[in-house]
Amino acid sequence: MASVMTKNRSPSRPKNLDLTTIRLPINAIVSIFHRLSGVVLFLMLPVMLWILQTSLRDEENYLYLVSFGDAWWVKLSLIALVIPLFHHFYAGLRHLGQDVHWMTTLQKARFSGRVVLWLDVISVLIFAIVIW
Amino acid sequence: MLVDLLTKRYPGMRLWLTQRLTALVMAGYIVLMVLLLLIQQPTGYAAWRAFVSPWWLRLATMLVFICLAMHAWLGIRDVMRDYVKNIILRGYLQLLMEILLAVYLVWLALILWNI
Repeated sequence: MASVMTKNRSPSRPKNLDLTTIRLPINAIVSIFHRLSGVVLFLMLPVMLWILQTSLRDEENYLYLVSFGDAWWVKLSLIALVIPLFHHFYAGLRHLGQDVHWMTTLQKARFSGRVVLWLDVISVLIFAIVIW
Repeated sequence: MLVDLLTKRYPGMRLWLTQRLTALVMAGYIVLMVLLLLIQQPTGYAAWRAFVSPWWLRLATMLVFICLAMHAWLGIRDVMRDYVKNIILRGYLQLLMEILLAVYLVWLALILWNI
């Protein structure tokens, strides 16, 4: 499929692969971050399991974990960890809506993309306030 | 029509639906857990342990993690198909990913079992 498409294109057509000048449309931004956040969440699974295990082992480990969470850089790391979680959650729900043909015109998809990004920001802010 | 698409003739449709259904299960679990945490607000080790202890919550957590493993398997496989062009390397990476997911499943089962 892809090779057929490339064959039909003129080899001299202008190309721009300069990452500093490419501006992705909002739907592409939401989409690529959905993908990226999924990979990050997969890579973070052992960390989450370790936190769960340590928190349940005994009181000493639990208190160690809580005191560990007092450090500012741990809090920042936690916030960095929930950004992909929130984004994957909201963008995933948006995709599920699109699967059942909800808000699929370009204009509506742009709107729902903006809604997802705003929900990300609001959720992360609330999370940051709660843990600080 | 939908049932027709889910027969063995269209394996991709099954995978597609699996990804969506597991997503719905996980989304429901996340909402439920956030609500439970907000209602009970467990503070301290004893309260936290009591919060996680009910058998139905542990069972639900295990089932949701099985969904997560299937969802992650599909997602990571799709991403690797797009970016890892070398088929042999991709095969090894996929095997590594499958081993990791299997280890995580056993790991979580041990955590939940020992509560």
